[in-house]
Amino acid sequence: AQTLHGQSRPYRVTELAKMMYDDMLSTVEVISRWRGEVDGDATMGENEQDDGFFKRKEDTANSDEDRMVPKLDYESLEDKWTNDDNIKALRHRFASTRVTGANAE
Amino acid sequence: MAAPTSAPQTLKFTGSKYLIQRLVLATLTGRAIRVSQIRASSHTSPGLAAHEVSFLRLLESITNGSHIEFSYTGTTLLYKPGLITGAATGHGLTTGGAIRHELPADCTRSASYFLIPLCLLAPFSKAQMNVLLTGPGVITSATETGDVSVDTIRTAILPLFKSFGIERNLELRILRRSNAGRDGKGGGGEVQLVFDHQVRLPKTIHLLDAGRIKRVRGVAYSTGVAGANNARLIEAARGVLNDLVPDTYIFSDISSAPLVAGLEKNNPGAKRKTGLGFGLSLVAESNTNMLYSADIASLPAGGEAPEDLGRKCAYQLLESIEAGGCASGVAATSVLTLMAMGSEDVGRITLSKDVVGSEQVVQLARDLRGFGMSGWGMREDDDGEIVVSIVGKGVGNVGRKIA
Repeated sequence: AQTLHGQSRPYRVTELAKMMYDDMLSTVEVISRWRGEVDGDATMGENEQDDGFFKRKEDTANSDEDRMVPKLDYESLEDKWTNDDNIKALRHRFASTRVTGANAE
Repeated sequence: MAAPTSAPQTLKFTGSKYLIQRLVLATLTGRAIRVSQIRASSHTSPGLAAHEVSFLRLLESITNGSHIEFSYTGTTLLYKPGLITGAATGHGLTTGGAIRHELPADCTRSASYFLIPLCLLAPFSKAQMNVLLTGPGVITSATETGDVSVDTIRTAILPLFKSFGIERNLELRILRRSNAGRDGKGGGGEVQLVFDHQVRLPKTIHLLDAGRIKRVRGVAYSTGVAGANNARLIEAARGVLNDLVPDTYIFSDISSAPLVAGLEKNNPGAKRKTGLGFGLSLVAESNTNMLYSADIASLPAGGEAPEDLGRKCAYQLLESIEAGGCASGVAATSVLTLMAMGSEDVGRITLSKDVVGSEQVVQLARDLRGFGMSGWGMREDDDGEIVVSIVGKGVGNVGRKIA
């Protein structure tokens, strides 16, 4: 229980609601914190490195533009969706003829 | 509350990101904005990019009384919105009641970059919105810069407006197709958006049930390349999807490459072909009429087999379906913006955690608050998705009320 409470659980809606309007955090930070990917120190450290030449170059190339379709790593996606378990897990989202339930048309 | 105060303060923003979103919100709410540090740190291309300038021109032509000021380097922009007039007669109209807007040849964004914000402004316009995008910069396909294709707008974005009670005479005519030209710049396409359903306020929506996917539709397009590419795209995409959705149908559209004026010194009349390539747009529809889309197009440099692209597009669609919610990441910002513009009532929508927890949506929430809209309420539902409740501010049609 201690470990569970010690670190904040990722993807908690109340957390996001709290952070969403916290202007001290950038949107990138909000999201990475919410996902529990990095703790506060790590994000700060990353920001300090931003002044480096390479970092900035990367910034202008990627994050300065708005994207609608996210950049996806298609190789890992291919692995994911050729795996039967993942397909099975997704099957409930489909009203196909094989799963005739109350929701099937 | 709804009427703008006599001298609203200018809102200040920084950076080139979310520029379009902020311009749209400024126009809808009638607040002036000042955006500074637009690509200020870039040594090669500081200031506004070609597509952003072009979007500002477009804003100018569909509004009356807008005031736009750039700084010398283009890194600072002051925008005072006017009234959204749409294609009102005698206001820059040339061809058949449509506002003709030419996109520059060095435009790297797809036509959807212009059309989606236009669709957000159009319901609040005074007259109908009728815009013809043409010129040497119109790319109708999906682009590497992350834009969706115009087919996706037609099949996945325009139907969204139906739930807001905006459904009459919405049409997107794809007059000529074009992929991105060499280096991802420019194309020779032509699209016309007719948006002839203006409302006082969009209806309050309650979209809570995402339902199950019942069918997948799509458009495969080839411009200036062999139509066999379409068949190969479709075959590959169906190979992935058929097992899950038997009702999959993908249309095939083959057209020749558009000709645009070639910029050659010794032969100014010369035309050259541009925008060769192929691509695929997929849209999955659920039994509650929720839409999920996926888009992919061949790279301007080429070198990718249609089979690979078709599969990638199908995987992208599965990702979007897996994320779930009543609006995919592509549609979420449009839906949420319209909800905020609605009447003073609580609208609700279920969104996936991935969608709400995306930079775009978080930034939209902040920007909306900046423009004086109410904050969002969020709670988790039983399926682990987030129900976002938004109280509209009833600012909907500022222009209409005054004019």
